[in-house]
Amino acid sequence: MFRLHDVSYAYGGNRAGVAALSHISLDVAQGEFRWLLGPSGAGKSSLLSILSLEVQASAGMVEILGVPVMQARRSNLARLRRRIGTVWQDFRLLPDLSVFDNVALPLRLQHRAEDEIAHEVHAIMKWVGLENRLDARPLQLSGGEQQRVAIARAVIYRPALLLADEPTNALDERQAGRLMAMFHRLAELGTTIVVATHNDAIVEKYPAPAIELAHGHLVRDYR
Amino acid sequence: MARRRYHDGLALHQALPGQFLPFLVAAMSFLAALALAGGIAAHGLSQRWTHGAGAVTTVQVPGPDDPAAGSGTRIAAVQDIVAHAPGVATAHRLSDAELRALLAPWIEQTGDSSLPLPAVIEVHTVPGQDPMPPLLPRLEAVAPGVLVEHDSVWSDRLAALAASLQACALLAVLIVMTVAVCVVMAATRAGLQTRRQAIALIHSLGAMDSYIAGRFASRVGLLALVGGLGGSIAALPMLLAMSHLAAPFSAMTDAQAVAPMDWRNPRAWADIVPHALLWMLLALPPAAGITGWVTTQLTVRAWLRRLP
Repeated sequence: MFRLHDVSYAYGGNRAGVAALSHISLDVAQGEFRWLLGPSGAGKSSLLSILSLEVQASAGMVEILGVPVMQARRSNLARLRRRIGTVWQDFRLLPDLSVFDNVALPLRLQHRAEDEIAHEVHAIMKWVGLENRLDARPLQLSGGEQQRVAIARAVIYRPALLLADEPTNALDERQAGRLMAMFHRLAELGTTIVVATHNDAIVEKYPAPAIELAHGHLVRDYR
Repeated sequence: MARRRYHDGLALHQALPGQFLPFLVAAMSFLAALALAGGIAAHGLSQRWTHGAGAVTTVQVPGPDDPAAGSGTRIAAVQDIVAHAPGVATAHRLSDAELRALLAPWIEQTGDSSLPLPAVIEVHTVPGQDPMPPLLPRLEAVAPGVLVEHDSVWSDRLAALAASLQACALLAVLIVMTVAVCVVMAATRAGLQTRRQAIALIHSLGAMDSYIAGRFASRVGLLALVGGLGGSIAALPMLLAMSHLAAPFSAMTDAQAVAPMDWRNPRAWADIVPHALLWMLLALPPAAGITGWVTTQLTVRAWLRRLP
């Protein structure tokens, strides 16, 4: 599903930049659920940024869903992004769009029919428990509600690869439990999922193979 | 299920407000229209001077009624040669009245009406031809002392002046277009900066460069089209007035030159404005729209290259 071979990444360029990841090699298969662990500054967000095609690795080989990222054309990268769902730590909701429009955005970029979009949005928003807040603006929501909207937007198009950066941060225990159950269900359906967290409690409660980083190096790759 | 308005987060009405850009494009189109009108007018006058009334040669025959070297009078011999020469459209001998009217300012100053006057033949040549130089030896042979004056010196100078005016007009249009392109680029970049977070997000969700560039270009193209339309409409009254003032200089007949203008009749407008100028006015708005569309496409695609 994705393979990294000897991947390095430095902020601000390869030579003068600050190294965030060094010589990372990973191979994660379809339908796997992986925790991405490590303390702050370990490189978790950098690794997720490379996998979500937000940044390019400075060196090494990155292959996602069979596409060699470093050699791919821009149009192919855009198509690949449509198969990757990402839940960012800062949610990245557009403040001038309603909750409905924020969640509908990925489907609209895929030119789906408006009736189909409305059906999908209502279904996913019912699942995250925000079906009554469709017309609200993100800034009118609590942190937990915004996180649920961000999750809904990331999973609405059933991505082949789902990346989540601290997705349970703003959720209560019940919501976090529901989210983890959904992640496991999606993995069973074939979605590869990588969840970055430094919440040891939730990792213990939902045990799964883990990738552990420290100071930009891969220290453990549990299976 | 109620239908909802389509929103993709780009909010182009915020990124590219509808007042600023059309106004600037209208100003540019107005200036371009004036410059093009100047160029077209210079071209028209150049054509007129080169091929119309300017292409006149006068032949002066001193002692017109003296016998020619051969048979008949000198004026008859000269007129016969000129009238049958290829490249000559008409050869008209000025009557005594026409000649005296022509010379009235000088004759009245001297107060002497008994001066011996030469006969004058006004020769109109076929546009693009200059038949007189080859005739000179023959004219000199039948009527020694004959004088041929061709206005080509002045028409050539005026044509050169018109050509330089056309070049200036073209340069002005190029400068206006360059400024318009720069304005569109600056407005587009400002719009991209305003919506950079939204653009980065929809880019990360899989939007193609062509989609984002197309959305911006459609908006700018439409605003530029509206601006171009405004500029053309604003230029129209001024161009009508200028065309009316220029009519006597470009009219082919005196009747056209002095014909009164009926300002309430739009058909009369079309008569006085050169057709090339009317087509140019019609072409300006789409040209502005296309220029805006292409410039925005290139600007947005270049900007998106910053994103991976």
